[in-house]
Amino acid sequence: MTYEILNICGQGFYFKLDGFRLIYCCIALFMWSVSLLFSKEYFAHYSHKARYYGFLILTMFATLGVFLSADFMTMFIFFEIMSLSSYVWVAQEETEAALKAGVTYLAIAVIGGMVMLMGLFLMQSAVGTLRMDELYTAVQSVWDEKSAQIYAAGFLMLFGFGAKAGMFPLHFWLPKAHPVAPAPASALLSGILTKCGVFGILVLTAEVFVHNFIWGSVILALGVLGMVAGAVLAVFSVNLKRTLACSSVSQIGFILIGVGMQCFLGGENALAVRGTFLHMVNHSLIKLLLFNCAGVVYMNLHALELNDVRGFGRKKPFLMGCFLMGALGIGGMPLWNGYVSKTLLHESIVEYIAVLAETGGNVWLFKSIEWIFLISGGLTVAYMLKLFICLFIEEHPTKQAEYDAMTSYMSPLSRIVIGCAAVVLPLMGFFPGGTMDKMADAVMGFMRSGSMEHSVYYFTWTNLKGGLISICIGILVYVFVVRKVFVRNGKYVDLWPKWLDIEAAFTRIIFAFLKVLGAGSRVVDGFLTQWCTVEGMLKALEAVSRGADGLSERAVAYLKGTVYRETTEKSVNSFVQSLHEHYDKKVDNMRLVGSSLSFGLLLACIGLILTIVYLLMH
Amino acid sequence: MEFTLLQLTENLKIAFRADELSLIFAAITTVMWILTGIYSFGYMEHDEHKKRYAFFYILVYFVLMGLDFSANLITMYLFYELMTLTSVPLILHEMKEESVSAAMKYLYYSIAGAFMSLFGIFVLSQYAPTIDFVAGGSIVAAELSHGGLVLAGVFLMLIGFGAKAGMFPLHAWLPIAHPVAPAPASAVLSGIIAKSGVLAIIRVVFYVVGPEVLRGSWVQTAWMVLTLLTVVMGSVRAYEEKVLKKRLAYSTVSQISYILFGLSTLHPLGFVGAMLHVIFHAVAKNLLFLGAGSIIHQTGKIRVTELREIGRQMPVTLGCFGFAALSLVGIPPFSGFFSKWYLANGALASEIGGFSWAGPVVLLLSALLTAGYLFPVVVQGFLPGKEYDIKAPEKCEAGLNMTIPMVVLAVLTLLLGILSSGIIEFLTQLANSLV
Repeated sequence: MTYEILNICGQGFYFKLDGFRLIYCCIALFMWSVSLLFSKEYFAHYSHKARYYGFLILTMFATLGVFLSADFMTMFIFFEIMSLSSYVWVAQEETEAALKAGVTYLAIAVIGGMVMLMGLFLMQSAVGTLRMDELYTAVQSVWDEKSAQIYAAGFLMLFGFGAKAGMFPLHFWLPKAHPVAPAPASALLSGILTKCGVFGILVLTAEVFVHNFIWGSVILALGVLGMVAGAVLAVFSVNLKRTLACSSVSQIGFILIGVGMQCFLGGENALAVRGTFLHMVNHSLIKLLLFNCAGVVYMNLHALELNDVRGFGRKKPFLMGCFLMGALGIGGMPLWNGYVSKTLLHESIVEYIAVLAETGGNVWLFKSIEWIFLISGGLTVAYMLKLFICLFIEEHPTKQAEYDAMTSYMSPLSRIVIGCAAVVLPLMGFFPGGTMDKMADAVMGFMRSGSMEHSVYYFTWTNLKGGLISICIGILVYVFVVRKVFVRNGKYVDLWPKWLDIEAAFTRIIFAFLKVLGAGSRVVDGFLTQWCTVEGMLKALEAVSRGADGLSERAVAYLKGTVYRETTEKSVNSFVQSLHEHYDKKVDNMRLVGSSLSFGLLLACIGLILTIVYLLMH
Repeated sequence: MEFTLLQLTENLKIAFRADELSLIFAAITTVMWILTGIYSFGYMEHDEHKKRYAFFYILVYFVLMGLDFSANLITMYLFYELMTLTSVPLILHEMKEESVSAAMKYLYYSIAGAFMSLFGIFVLSQYAPTIDFVAGGSIVAAELSHGGLVLAGVFLMLIGFGAKAGMFPLHAWLPIAHPVAPAPASAVLSGIIAKSGVLAIIRVVFYVVGPEVLRGSWVQTAWMVLTLLTVVMGSVRAYEEKVLKKRLAYSTVSQISYILFGLSTLHPLGFVGAMLHVIFHAVAKNLLFLGAGSIIHQTGKIRVTELREIGRQMPVTLGCFGFAALSLVGIPPFSGFFSKWYLANGALASEIGGFSWAGPVVLLLSALLTAGYLFPVVVQGFLPGKEYDIKAPEKCEAGLNMTIPMVVLAVLTLLLGILSSGIIEFLTQLANSLV
């Protein structure tokens, strides 16, 4: 179903509603309802509420616009609105950290948008259309002659989409922006706004770079790096929401691995397509729940550091239940939703290894990717265990009684909405055939993928094995690394090396570049214009005319000097005065030399110009 | 339709004609003049010499109308010089030492530029079939004699008229003269009068010489290099500048060179982009200067660093300022995005080697810098930080006769973008008749 609005915003809007878009719009609306309803309690004591709600709604419409668009131009317009209006969420609380994170967020949004725009320019000029349903044939017809330009366009757009999606190495805004944004907003930032970026990458994969090896390898590589980097960062993190943000980076990595595998598997990529899409859905829903749970913690304690919030969840079974649902979901526990999508992604890697083995290709690279995948899954379990044990099992050394006394920590409305968000996860995980498979069936057309040869039995031993390996790794990492290394004297310590900061490196490069540009511009702006054009010429002319003007007088004075010599009284005694006169004469001489030199140069210039004019005329 | 006012000699006449281009320029000039005029009532309320200001303000408008509707090079040159002379009192208005020296600088540069152009007019009147404006140019490239001299003349005209448009190398007056004028005057100086240089260049290139003569010549290359250089230089200087009005003036330097770059592609898409940017930049820059003027008028703050929290004191003003900033950076669906879209596509479609790529890259680089020098003003104005929450500042919004024109302009920045299709269609027809 398509819908077109002509004569608006230059080229008109072009929308489409298919399985993928419908599902994602529903998810978006669900997430916004949950966040909005929870915001009521979360923001009860805040100022500037109107601003927050206004931009929340504006971003919602823009996000729906992004997901409904069937034209990159339409998409870009909504994408930019979404990108900039969500800035207000990050900076909403106006603390120093929030404003700083806001600057990072805004910079990434603007830079990402501009780079993406450059990609759109190139795509438009190479292919001649930006309509998603025309792109496939248009790209095929010009691929042979313009593949270089299409690649350039594609990677520039990947930069823009990736910046929003939190793709490595543009992920650094996530861990910075999430801890400072209000929790309902971070749930949306992480759950759905990142998916707008992934959506763009998916469209590029499905319509432009269909089964393209180079595209697939780049995305796979970035996906693996992001998956590992995010998971490691999350294990190191000692802040509740920062851990969740790093976890988002990692999960986006999982999704991108799925996208990469789609390209490698070619026509038989159904597993990868389903895994990618379901992991997107699961990640959206899980992060909605987890961030809102973190919001409950923050709402009561106004703290997020693990050392401050530990023990808050004891004797709060509702909160514990909700958080547990999210933790099990994201950890990939069988019977929860995350398990299904991770299994599919894992299976797609296994399938490609089988394909490689059949054709006699080298399998070690993908074998190692498979193990990195399982280990990252394990790290996911480890950092979720860290959070869970910290919040719900451990006791706070000093304030435990105070925390236990907080019995009315949530309003009934918040309980209902967060409860809803929590129930969905096991529901989907227990009945994957009726829920997730149906969703996945609806998106196959969107991704240009054929149907599955046979349905996947998620709970067979081979499939369970992968999930269980991850969980074992996770528990081992938690027991032997997290407890031993990151907990010292009963306190969580931040061991992340400070110099390992990608953003600082980016900023340094940008500012160095700006400095060079600035110096260059100052030279161009000041030096050349001040001295080589109007003013310079005027000064030179003035000097010349002064010389010409005074010529006769000077001649008279000179003659007068030769004919009639006045006896000047020289004060013989004053040594200083004679030195001074001497100095004056020197200065005059220098001035004379300077002005004649410039006059000479001016004449030389005029001569050059005349020569050029003469040459041009012939 | 042509109307001859005065027949000077057999070939020279002062004549007027209304074509599409004059209509666009006249329309935008009129709208801006009315809105800025209303604003002036508020801004100049307590000024000693408001009558003098009003007299010259209206006089410049008439001169601009003459310029917009002129039918040949001589008429245009006449009004071009008149415009320079009549707008000097606007810059001089405050009669401080810096405004006098700025006005003198303006005069020097403008007259120097105009004389360079005059040389070109001499050449063209000798070697072009006619100096009347003919859509698409009257010179047939194949029959052109003294091609080198004509090209040199055109180049001098580009530089000369470029002085008004703030194109390197004759741009140095602009960041000095625009900020010292009273805010409404700087608004029309930056928004409209600087565009007269663009109009003159369009008339020369597309109505007398014809794009065919220039295509592929050294003049086109040099022109592109100069515009791109100006774009980068202007935005970097604006980024470094701390006085708000000066920052806006440098921004004008860079933005008008976007327009000139679009023209220099000599491609219909580039031309459409340039004309769109003429309109959209006029709206946005007018609005920015009016906003800066309101802030000066109400609080006396001129430096960017003093503007923290200004959004809480003057929410309407800074809101409008924000709209203009979004448009100037080129965030869709604000109007500036659409002109940039056409400019970049024109550059890519014109296929002139490296420039097709370099152009869009420079445009986007400059857009980033534009974001860098305009967004912080808005962001810090509205989100000053938690420590500012303690004491709510007093509202000091300007009077209605100042805010209403700004709100109208702010609505225009958005509306012109959303409804740009009609304008684009009109301009595409015009562009196809010229190129």
